[in-house]
Amino acid sequence: MDVGLLAQYVMNGLMLGMMYTLVAIGFTLFFGVLDIIKFSHGDVLTVGAFTALATYIGLRSAGVGSTPLLLLAMLVVAILAMAALGMLIARYLVMPMRSAPALNTLLITLMLGTVLRELVRLFYPQGANPKPFPALLPTASINLGQFNLRLDNALMLAAGGLAIVGLQLLLNRTKLGLAIRAVAQDEETARTMGVNFTAVVLITFAIGSALAAYAGIMNGLYYNEINFGMGLYLGVIGFAAAIIGGLGSIYGAILGGFLFAALQTIGTVALPFASAYKDVFAFTVVIALIAWRPTGLIQEKISERV
Amino acid sequence: MSEVMQKLRAPLLPGVVALALSTAYLIALLAAEKQPLIIGLLAFAVAAVLAAHYLGWLNLVSRSFADREDVLGVYAILAACVVAAFFHDNHFVLLLFVTVLLYTVATLGLNIQFGYAGVLNFAGASFFGIGAYTSAVLSTYTAVPHLLVLLIGGMLAALIGSLLLLPVLRTRGHYAALVTIAFALLLKTFLEVNDVLGGPQGMQVKGMSILGWSFNDNFEIGKIEMSFYLNYFVVSMLLLTGTFVLVRRLERSWIGLNLDALRLDEIAASCFGLDIARWKITAFLLGNFLIGIAGALFGMVGGFVAPNNYTFADSLIMVSILLLGGIGNPWGLVVATFIVVVVPEKLQTIQEYRILLYALMVIMMLLFRPEGLLPRPVRRYYPRWQA
Amino acid sequence: MTYLLEARGLTRKFGGVVALDNLDLAVVPNEIIGLIGPNGSGKTTFFNVVTGIYGAHGGSITFDGADITRASSPAVYHAGISRTFQRSRLSLPLSIFDNIMIGNHKRLNQGLWFNLIRRGEFKREFEANYGAARTLVEVFEPQLAERMFEPVGGLPMIDRRRIEICRALINQPKLLLLDEPSAGMTHDETKELMDDILQVRDLNRNLTIIVVEHEMGVIERITERCVVLNFGRKIAEGPYRQVAVDRQVQEAYLGVE
Repeated sequence: MDVGLLAQYVMNGLMLGMMYTLVAIGFTLFFGVLDIIKFSHGDVLTVGAFTALATYIGLRSAGVGSTPLLLLAMLVVAILAMAALGMLIARYLVMPMRSAPALNTLLITLMLGTVLRELVRLFYPQGANPKPFPALLPTASINLGQFNLRLDNALMLAAGGLAIVGLQLLLNRTKLGLAIRAVAQDEETARTMGVNFTAVVLITFAIGSALAAYAGIMNGLYYNEINFGMGLYLGVIGFAAAIIGGLGSIYGAILGGFLFAALQTIGTVALPFASAYKDVFAFTVVIALIAWRPTGLIQEKISERV
Repeated sequence: MSEVMQKLRAPLLPGVVALALSTAYLIALLAAEKQPLIIGLLAFAVAAVLAAHYLGWLNLVSRSFADREDVLGVYAILAACVVAAFFHDNHFVLLLFVTVLLYTVATLGLNIQFGYAGVLNFAGASFFGIGAYTSAVLSTYTAVPHLLVLLIGGMLAALIGSLLLLPVLRTRGHYAALVTIAFALLLKTFLEVNDVLGGPQGMQVKGMSILGWSFNDNFEIGKIEMSFYLNYFVVSMLLLTGTFVLVRRLERSWIGLNLDALRLDEIAASCFGLDIARWKITAFLLGNFLIGIAGALFGMVGGFVAPNNYTFADSLIMVSILLLGGIGNPWGLVVATFIVVVVPEKLQTIQEYRILLYALMVIMMLLFRPEGLLPRPVRRYYPRWQA
Repeated sequence: MTYLLEARGLTRKFGGVVALDNLDLAVVPNEIIGLIGPNGSGKTTFFNVVTGIYGAHGGSITFDGADITRASSPAVYHAGISRTFQRSRLSLPLSIFDNIMIGNHKRLNQGLWFNLIRRGEFKREFEANYGAARTLVEVFEPQLAERMFEPVGGLPMIDRRRIEICRALINQPKLLLLDEPSAGMTHDETKELMDDILQVRDLNRNLTIIVVEHEMGVIERITERCVVLNFGRKIAEGPYRQVAVDRQVQEAYLGVE
């Protein structure tokens, strides 16, 4: 295989990995802080993408033509809206269920995800069909020998990387981050130390959902298309990635996200007949990994006291 | 002691009355054609149930069913036959009825996995579909007798299920959720891209025939024309009755106790000798076996199989039935399956919205009444048995 | 002297914390010994390692002649060790009878055919076990025996403790591990509970008990000797009155002056 094609695959893998990681981080954050699996996370991504699209269409018909402005508006609106949605979900659906068995939270978020998905499908105009997403990043490309590095991809990767680094800084260098980590490690102690538990939970959910919105827009820009089922698919992958990496660990989410993307890429190269097979391959390997290391490649936090 | 005796001898009457009224109502609902009439009937049912709840009648009925289950079970079978006889030449209604019966078998299987053992399975419809595809393939390419086809459908669903579950047996519940959701999504895509199994169009399934009696021909009793679906009705009723009895006995046995113990507290259960992996697998295999048989029969009833009928959304509907009806309560399942399958068929306007509605209803249920419509009572190994 | 249970050099770590530090502990058949020590000294961890919930990082455990160091929880149960938990851990939605039967797992026929098809025989086994469970519950609280099919969730703490102990005793174990049986109960309730346990032991002389307790009155009354732990190691051993005045024990509980 020639270098150009290889580079193309690598780039594709990196893009996918970045998107999966952003989703996986959300799962890991929610699990870390509240010990729950929020199955609606992927569908929040979908709603974020559609919110961005609606913002775009709205602004365009209002006469706004400046691309950077449109992109900025889409980002701001989608991220804020999804952060708010995340907080609402945490406040009214997840926190009230804390005393119920963990299964119930899983079920309720699964159903909520379905509600979000169906709302988009039913109430967004022509929601059942894939919708074109505008290409708002510079389409120039830099020629690197046999490989064309697309500027928009590079920008998205860089932006994604910045988001992750920003999150790490937040978690490790700020008081808020300290509070989040405290709650993630031991809720009771954190509370007795004066940490406002509810606030931390809400903020964590806001952050995770904001990242999902970001991932949704990135997905739209990359494929130039969004559809109501995209979140479900990405959610499952993001969840799997978070698990293999080790639930509760940000590094685990990063590892898992890129690992899954790598597996998919290998699958595409090795099994060229149909795209479905690459997913089957990737998931099979992931399930085997989970069977081998149930607590993840990086240790999942143990939360049960005997 | 006399108080205990009184508690054990709940009267038969409330159960019989409830059964008779429900049968009459069901016939009316199935026969109704005009949308306003249907809406009216549904509103009436909601009001009636709420009234019965507040008057305490629902409790009476529920105790009656709990204590006199054997007799009421027989009456319920008779009631089903009455409904079938009433619609003896109505293909559409009979098909709907048979669908409900088979879906109930499948959800009873899901209940063993989910409700008793606490093993999550979000691919119920996929295993149902595996059963159906088994029917398609075997009836098209082989001459395997059709009853055997049903068994093979069940076994294949069980086998594939065990392949899925074994890797995640020793992990926490949400891993099984992930694996089954991924399976549900991937199977559909896999079936669609694979022309061997008919691709998106699916495959035809030959109708059932046993010992020469072809199930797909209308027949006559005396001068009365009978819909061929009655054939399937009989087989489905037999399957449902057998499944119901099996599930009942399972719950009222040491095995049922094992499953409850492992669902409620794995660590304590294993400290008292329970082999967690063994019982999870047993429950999962048994549940999938039932789902597969029901699916295989369903394929024959419908005449064709296609990937679009066995999606993740369909699996979620099965889970919704379980949660709405009352986890672990077979009677609750029966009622919930009827509601979930029949109402959107009659009320065409909400067909499109049914997944959304069910998801919302489940959310409400989980927030306010997590035990479901008909909560599961404490285990009584022999309801009428006195110490 | 043959020990029923013998732990040698038992070690268990959790990350950086050494919960059990080269612990030697031996129990003679038919004795009642107390396991005491300040919070975090490793008492419950010891129980958890013995019953296979946690693995040992070093050392060995021998029970009735067999090595159970790497045995799983079900295997330990089948060998003849039963326990109660600090946090009770009953199945609250299940009935009293059901909860006790969970403890009787090894004596119940678990075959599919037996349970689903041979219902006549199953009924006989059910009735026999109902009788046995009732008899055991009657020792502790005759009123409870009338309510065997009530869910446990609605019962007060003292009754739940009783049922938990019945669950542990129903299969006639060789060794009973009691983890803070008095937690959540008044003095009188605790006294009653301990009397009932001793009564069971009188009926079944072949029972050895290890009691983890914070209430020293219990320890003093019912145990023949104690083992005192601190930071996962044994710091004293002997009859209660003897260890109570031991300097090291006092320092462990009260801190050094």
